[in-house]
Amino acid sequence: MKNRIEELRKEKGIRQDELSNVLGVSRQTISSLENGRYNPSITLAYKIAKVFDLAIEDVFIFDEE
Amino acid sequence: MNCNKALRRMLLSIIWIIVGIVLFALGVMGILDEFWYGFGSAAIAVGVIQLIRHILYRTNDEYKTKVDVKVNDERNRFLSSQAWAWTGYVFILCCAAAAIVFKITGEDELCSLCATGIGLMVFIYFVTYMILIRKY
Repeated sequence: MKNRIEELRKEKGIRQDELSNVLGVSRQTISSLENGRYNPSITLAYKIAKVFDLAIEDVFIFDEE
Repeated sequence: MNCNKALRRMLLSIIWIIVGIVLFALGVMGILDEFWYGFGSAAIAVGVIQLIRHILYRTNDEYKTKVDVKVNDERNRFLSSQAWAWTGYVFILCCAAAAIVFKITGEDELCSLCATGIGLMVFIYFVTYMILIRKY
């Protein structure tokens, strides 16, 4: 699943470690999410969307392929 | 990890150390054999390391945050779960290969041991699966 985490994070001007502290996850998790290597649970996806004041579908793009 | 859990684990570490000291002492006195002497030493080492970690957890906020993130991080949990799954799978394959080799070389007892190991693991998998089905 593709996502806009990196783009939204840079727009907000926050670093990976700052975002990880807010979400209570490791910086490596943020890195893996941004690279699309790891898909988050619905709970984490919700928390991420909430940080950016967006809906989950605005942050995560479901790619059927 | 909450404070009660940390305290319980701290007590468990102290129990490990006490058990280790008792086994070590009985080994030194010659009441128990070398196996228990070694087991006691290992128990002391594990207990001391765990105790240091728990004391650090309770006294050092930076360390506590680091541990909490590591324990609660969902990717870490996912990786740990995947690693255990792969460990089980590779272990079964190794047991199967060993069973074949032992059968060819005529080591029937070892072959049976490996085959029993595979059977036991499959059984544990089945039981675990049935428990998880009820839970989720």
